[in-house]
Amino acid sequence: MTKQSHHSEIASPSVRNDKEGCFRKGNKAIMSSFEPKIIGFLCNWCSYEGADSCGRARKEYPSNFVVIRVMCSGRIDPQFILEAFKDGADGVMILGCHPGDCHYKEGNFNALRRYTLLKKMLKQFGIEEDRVKLDWVSASEGDKFVRVVSEMVEKVRVMGPLMLIQKKQLKNHREHRGNL
Amino acid sequence: MAERIGVFVCECGPNIKEAIDLDTVVTFAQGLKNVVMVKSFNLLCSEAGKKLIEENITKNNLTRVVIAACSPREHEHTFKKVLSNAGLNPYLLQLVNIREQCAWVIKNKTLATEKAKAMIQAAVERVIHHEPLESKDLECQMDALVVGAGIAGISAALTLAQKNRKVYLVEKSPVIGGKVALYEKVFPTLECASCVLDPVLDKVLHNEQIELLTLSEIQEVLGFFGNFIVKVKKNARCVDTKTCIGCGACFEVCPAKVKNEYNEGLDERRAIYIPYAGALPNVAVIDREHCLHFQTEGCNACQNTCPFSSINYEENDEVQELRVGAIVLATGFDVFDPKRAPRYGYGKIDNVYTSLEFERLLNSNGPTGGKILLKNGQPPKKIALIHCVGSRTREYNEYCSGICCMYSLKFAHMVNEQLPDSSISEFYSDFCLPGKESQGFFNNLLDKNGIEFVRVKDLDSIKFSEKKGKILIQYKTINPPSSTLLKGGKRGLQDKNIPETLKSDPFDMVVLSVAIEAAKDAQDLARIFDIPQGKDGFFTEEHTELSPASTIKEGIFIAGCAQGPKDVQSTVTQGQAAAGNILSRLIHGEKLVLEAITATVDEDLCSGCKICIGLCPYKAITYNSPESPHTPLWKRGAEGDFEGDKGGFSDKKENLATINEVLCRGCGICAAACPSGAIKAKHFTDKQIFAEIEGLLNTNYAKTSKMSLRGTG
Repeated sequence: MTKQSHHSEIASPSVRNDKEGCFRKGNKAIMSSFEPKIIGFLCNWCSYEGADSCGRARKEYPSNFVVIRVMCSGRIDPQFILEAFKDGADGVMILGCHPGDCHYKEGNFNALRRYTLLKKMLKQFGIEEDRVKLDWVSASEGDKFVRVVSEMVEKVRVMGPLMLIQKKQLKNHREHRGNL
Repeated sequence: MAERIGVFVCECGPNIKEAIDLDTVVTFAQGLKNVVMVKSFNLLCSEAGKKLIEENITKNNLTRVVIAACSPREHEHTFKKVLSNAGLNPYLLQLVNIREQCAWVIKNKTLATEKAKAMIQAAVERVIHHEPLESKDLECQMDALVVGAGIAGISAALTLAQKNRKVYLVEKSPVIGGKVALYEKVFPTLECASCVLDPVLDKVLHNEQIELLTLSEIQEVLGFFGNFIVKVKKNARCVDTKTCIGCGACFEVCPAKVKNEYNEGLDERRAIYIPYAGALPNVAVIDREHCLHFQTEGCNACQNTCPFSSINYEENDEVQELRVGAIVLATGFDVFDPKRAPRYGYGKIDNVYTSLEFERLLNSNGPTGGKILLKNGQPPKKIALIHCVGSRTREYNEYCSGICCMYSLKFAHMVNEQLPDSSISEFYSDFCLPGKESQGFFNNLLDKNGIEFVRVKDLDSIKFSEKKGKILIQYKTINPPSSTLLKGGKRGLQDKNIPETLKSDPFDMVVLSVAIEAAKDAQDLARIFDIPQGKDGFFTEEHTELSPASTIKEGIFIAGCAQGPKDVQSTVTQGQAAAGNILSRLIHGEKLVLEAITATVDEDLCSGCKICIGLCPYKAITYNSPESPHTPLWKRGAEGDFEGDKGGFSDKKENLATINEVLCRGCGICAAACPSGAIKAKHFTDKQIFAEIEGLLNTNYAKTSKMSLRGTG
């Protein structure tokens, strides 16, 4: 894939047409001005640093991607992801240290297991499982960071906005943790 | 009372100012709930900037601070200090990374401004939920325990003792010095091993700070960094260490003969013995398993002979309890048993030795007094040294033991010196000669006569058989011309390019360079100390590159071959590093400052399901009663520093998870896994993260990019 450094370039319909051939049926009017909103949960030690190093090297990536820092990808409770969808995110990324490099030894494996299970659950909620994506980005992989983020933004853009059919179901998930 | 939040926006010179429309951002922030003041400044991390923040905190009575500037990894510490100076808890700060993750990565100013607004809103919503955190501190034991009195443990013990630390040096055998004490010479200097070692051992024996416990084994370890309780079983020596002078009168009269394990079973010792001449401490020991006094009763030969009345059959094993702040595990290694690989004929064909046996043959205090002799008492004329026995093969150990090439070359040097007329063949497939001394050590051999290097295609294809009292070695050679080796010609020879020849040669003696393996008791030790082992059985270091001498269990350090194969130099370095780690963390008169960002269990919510316990990488979570030694002292009520006011603990608490704040590093893995939501990861609580998510998504920015769909859906 060619590096799509400029935001408006990615947004342009021609780029999307080239990649996907066509838009999703029936959504054309909405899609043409749709900018997805992606939340990324990044571990403090590898991926957050990777995002920083990307900034230091002035590498561009879509502004649709916003970051929440956690100490370890193992901290990411699947409910954070559901919450993000509930609050209006169209996609969620989990970025952690490469397997074997986790600052806390094996937190990223916990993230991987939860991610695998969560994807199955998302389907039951009527959320496309591709709206959540886990990847490994090390502190030195500024280029990889740009690539995986751009790909995710592009993928979600093609999928269109998340339309939660049963919004209420997800809402309930937050309740018993509300007082933490 | 509503929080009073102050937002400070850094222009970072032109860095942020030119990429983001800060006027818009400031206006936007002013409109956010609970924000009482917003200021932008040229450079907040400058002295003037820090002063500006400090003054505004006081002037505006701020209770929370949001700073939109660079990455928290760059200046979080700086700004935390500013808050502290202003009398505000440093954890009431949220830093917004609008430089690395906004200004520098988005060229379109409008989009960058919108993103910055979303990020600041998220921080403002998050910071409301921040709680003041305090770094607790803890009284610690300054004494240390070193397990294993080989060169690694001794290096650690001496380094610690230099700083007036009391060190318990626990050794399971009756002597100190470990494997190195069994060698005649050490590479790469070919210096006499006892000349290197003995002065160091002497220092250990005469150091008042070091309490040496020989014949001792660790039974149990409880507690955590700063406060370990260790049970040590001290086996009876049955000889008074104070009066025995090691004269040896007792061995001569002892009727029981046993294979001497210190000479790799090549000769015999008595049931009362000193492992080898010059062993330290120079005190006899009774092997109760073989001593006739204990086995059949009645034999008192040694007691009757001892001129100093040092023999005491009545001495009992003792269990001692030590209280230490930190532990160094330097428990060494064992070697690969070549009987596992039948092709070498080890144990069946005479004069096939392991390298450790050969070390004893070369040693002047060994079974032959340092003479290289065949079983028939004659010196060998042709000696083969086989590399990589049990190393670098998927069949046994995949790793390279790292030191075999060097000790094999050491053997070649030493054999050549003792038997200049004999010929030596080194069978190798690759040489591992890193470091500043090794290549020279190898090159020196090339000038000597009678030494040949045979490059074997596949070391696993070597076969030994016995023929007319000699050892016949069959092998496939791909011997490159020796000039390639010498001049370092074409490297990385491809096997297919070199014609292989099937050859067989007879030898008088063969020495197998056996792999270094994890000590046989490594698994037991790992269980006792609760530290992980790698797939090869060596103890796993905390971080391969950055913390090679510590384990994931805080306060337990590793050194020497217990961590992985290494030479004497690296072993000493690691022993000293482990000691240095302890000296820099446990300081006389200073309490141990604990990580403030840890996890805690809400006792009312915990159901005691134990899911978190197995997940914690630091074994910081236990399912114990509050009185258990695993629980921090302040929670046990004995010290009563922190929770003393709670008095008696409720019954329910007995069946709950407790997080040890000394061991917790705040990763939050447990918090994410807790099905009851009972675990709170401080500073990264669910509430804080939910607020951040909401803040990021519910700005104008989010709304515009969502189009009108949200409203109808």
